[in-house]
Amino acid sequence: MANLFRSRIFWIALIGSLVALLLPLKVSGYILGLLTVAYYFGVFSMAWDLLFGFAGEVNFGPTFLIGLGAYTAGILNGYGVPVYPCIAAGAVMAVVGGVVLALPALRVRGPYFGLTTLVAVLIMMNLIVVFAGFTGGEIGLTVPDVLSIDERTNYYIALIFMIVSGIILFALSRSPVGLILQASGQDPVEAGALGFNVTKHKLAAFVISAFFSGLAGALLVFYMGTASVGTLVSISVGVQVIIAAVLGGRRTIIGAAIGAIFLIAAGEALRPFGELSTFIVSAIALVVILFVPSGLLGLISRRGEHA
Amino acid sequence: MTTRHHRSIRHTLLSGAAAFASLFLAAQAQAADPIKIAVIAEAQAIAGASIPQAAQLAADEINAKGGVDGRQIQIITYDNKSSSADSVRAFQRAVSDDKVNAVIASYISEVVLALEPWAARLKTVMITPGAASNQITKAVHDDYEKNKYTFHGYLTSAELAMSVCDGAKDILVNDRKMKTAVIMSEDAAWTTPLDVGYKECLPKIGLQVLDHIRMSPDTTDFTPIYNKIEGQKPDVMITGISHVGVQPTVQWKSQQVPIPMLGIASQATNSTFWKDTNGAADGVLFQSVSGPGVAVTSKSVPFADAFNKKYGNFPSYAGYTAYDEVYYIADAVKRAGSTDSDKLVEALEKTDWEGTIGRIQFYGKEDQFTHGLKYGKGLITGMISQWQDGKQVAVWPPEIANGKIRFPSFIKAQN
Amino acid sequence: MLALQILVDGFAISALYALGATGFTLIFGVSGVLNLSHGGLMVLGAVAAWAATNELHVGAYLAALFGIGVTLIAAFATYFVVVRPLQTSRAIPKEETEIFVLTGTLLWGIMIQELIAYFFTDNAKTVLPIVEGVVNIFGVRTPQNEIFTAIICWVVIGVLWLIVNKTRSGKAVLAASMNPRGVTLLGFELSRIYIAIWAIYGILAGIAGVLLGMFLGVSSYSAGPLTGSAFSIVVLGGLGSVSGSLVAAYVVGYLETVTAYMISPAYRTIPALLLLVAVMYVRPQGLFGRR
Repeated sequence: MANLFRSRIFWIALIGSLVALLLPLKVSGYILGLLTVAYYFGVFSMAWDLLFGFAGEVNFGPTFLIGLGAYTAGILNGYGVPVYPCIAAGAVMAVVGGVVLALPALRVRGPYFGLTTLVAVLIMMNLIVVFAGFTGGEIGLTVPDVLSIDERTNYYIALIFMIVSGIILFALSRSPVGLILQASGQDPVEAGALGFNVTKHKLAAFVISAFFSGLAGALLVFYMGTASVGTLVSISVGVQVIIAAVLGGRRTIIGAAIGAIFLIAAGEALRPFGELSTFIVSAIALVVILFVPSGLLGLISRRGEHA
Repeated sequence: MTTRHHRSIRHTLLSGAAAFASLFLAAQAQAADPIKIAVIAEAQAIAGASIPQAAQLAADEINAKGGVDGRQIQIITYDNKSSSADSVRAFQRAVSDDKVNAVIASYISEVVLALEPWAARLKTVMITPGAASNQITKAVHDDYEKNKYTFHGYLTSAELAMSVCDGAKDILVNDRKMKTAVIMSEDAAWTTPLDVGYKECLPKIGLQVLDHIRMSPDTTDFTPIYNKIEGQKPDVMITGISHVGVQPTVQWKSQQVPIPMLGIASQATNSTFWKDTNGAADGVLFQSVSGPGVAVTSKSVPFADAFNKKYGNFPSYAGYTAYDEVYYIADAVKRAGSTDSDKLVEALEKTDWEGTIGRIQFYGKEDQFTHGLKYGKGLITGMISQWQDGKQVAVWPPEIANGKIRFPSFIKAQN
Repeated sequence: MLALQILVDGFAISALYALGATGFTLIFGVSGVLNLSHGGLMVLGAVAAWAATNELHVGAYLAALFGIGVTLIAAFATYFVVVRPLQTSRAIPKEETEIFVLTGTLLWGIMIQELIAYFFTDNAKTVLPIVEGVVNIFGVRTPQNEIFTAIICWVVIGVLWLIVNKTRSGKAVLAASMNPRGVTLLGFELSRIYIAIWAIYGILAGIAGVLLGMFLGVSSYSAGPLTGSAFSIVVLGGLGSVSGSLVAAYVVGYLETVTAYMISPAYRTIPALLLLVAVMYVRPQGLFGRR
């Protein structure tokens, strides 16, 4: 049964990836630019889903990890460090920050864990404004270098990054470690009684989630050429990441990426509605979680619920 | 344009007569081709909402008179939700997909600064109707070849400071013998040069600067700020606020802070400001470029009235500038005889247009504010208005004033 | 002088925080729901009251009532359209109801916020104050509106205390917040208690929103920060503990005011956030939490 499910998701992901790889032959640079951002958001959502869907922890502060990666990379680049070491440093910094946040936060559960992560974002936003000299404050940070100015190159970097991240995260979620995580997410007491070190596994999940969030955040900075609170750190960005994961289908990893692409595509398709587009996207998302709680992927593979 | 050109060449190779006909047809098609202007603005903010509306009004007027050499003007609007990221996306879409010839963008400096590199990369003319940061023109000055596509269709922060000081000199120092001031501004890209300008020009006109308070644009409770300012006993508060406006005004009145306010207060230029503040705006002095019922030029009043008739409210300051921009872009296209970006830049640099805010000319390559609006008598001076009984009353300069300054009773200043 | 100023100003702000957080914590105590559309509902009340004076041209009292009424209706809508369907949905596993309610109310809050921005722009609005003018309290010039705000907040909280402690249905609500199952055994229908609690919540959020609109002014942007501050206060005080929320509201209110006066208004929220993190690490159940 698990195999059947796995193969169905596999085929969806494979066909989707092939279509995405061939897309630059057909569509305009503008659409590619849009999808490039969507793919990075896809990684944010997948990393979040690993933590929520499998470890059962609601991280309200995915943007804390994203922002750490993004700003570390951006600020270092301003001091003349080349792009790729900056990206690596961003990912490392996100992991370090993730550990610092997770060690105490994992002691508490439920809404308290969520709140701790949320407060981390609020504090980070404040610090970015207070240390405006380093971070550019409310105006944002402009980085000297970019990955590439060619739309297609950027598109492929983002796409391949998303596919590779997706494979790693998906494999992880289906591995014994993922199963232990899932067990400890649902019933930590029982999982503990079975001899698994619940906290250690959750910490590992947090670190992995932080690594991919930070890496994606750093890459996104070098795609856009700027980092700002509004685009990378604010609560509404975090909300978008969470909504994407829930919308796409939690506990599926791949669904999170589909949700992120769907959100950005929907926002674009609804552009003629102008100011009401955010309202409509939120309403659609609400309808989905009300009537199809297993998400878009759950809709396609009806077994998504009991994977 | 290029594809059509190729097509006509191909036709020429077919036969002489057919070539002649097709060239003629191509010319016809080109003539009927609309001039597309993108408007990227903050549809949910009052200052931003006027931008696409005013641009559309200008386009309708031009089109009703036959357009530009037979070409209609088409306005394509994009809501940027006050976000730089959305604006960049909209700009890309406007240029690559909608093939616009020029872009009118945003009243927020942060947004315009984020778009400026894109105007350079995509080689598309961009004019802002309301951002103020000096950085916008500085970038054009420092790297002219790259950034020449950006024009600043509103006063720079430095000019805004000059305008406030020129007004304050007459109405505060000369008429009311004021001697001291505290600067109160919000932390944003546009206020950094504004504050520098204030600190430079206020002492020159005879107002000693006692303190300088910068606050977060997210501030909701202004009590501690007013408390601090009051402790320093200045004669006047010189403001630089745009993202905030309603809240400081309402709290100024409810706490009866006895110090008058004068300066840049973008929200005060909106016709709805009285309603939004429940009348707390009474007595607020603010700088603007034009206002309802004030004949800055012969075009100001007809525009404000036409706008009010069409949309049911008077335009924000960025409405006036956006309206002018559509006109002088059209004028530049006519003079250039083309919508080619480089030719358009050349034509715009030679702009000499009487708009609703004054006579519009741009500073040149060698000037400090390259592609910024020229400031001064006979060009644009700005004006000072005051809210009185639900109306904006122009109080300075005397040539266009239609009322006298009057402060509410809690203000300790002579009327 | 400065100390007195801080004392006076901090009191009114804290009272407002307390009122806003009380309804929020009651809902959590009784039904385990963290309503993330809280800020949106408060802003809705204030903007509705503003619209009543400016579009319908009614007086200050009627406008305030109108604002409260609109919030009440919206609170019921939140419950019946979003919260209850999610709680009773069979497709959602029990242990995940919480995250679904959080996400659902969050989306609902964004919808409210966007609609307000669409119809009334995102510029700040202020509600016509019921009282105006200033009085001198030991040399501190205090707006009467500020005193009025503090008084109303405490009167409302007092009335709520009386209802909960002295009336039969109030006691049922209190009991439900401690042990929902036990109340059903006593012959109360839990669904009725839920409706009662959402009604109380709607009125409290409405009053808090309208008062905030009179006192400081609100815009659609305020929705997020308002939810955030209610959330922090409630967690600081201990989820579900009303008295804990009241104390926490004053702690946060004064901490913010002191920071704004003594250090800088720009750093206003930071110390309260740090305190919150510190409390979570040392005493995760909050200052007065039961768990």
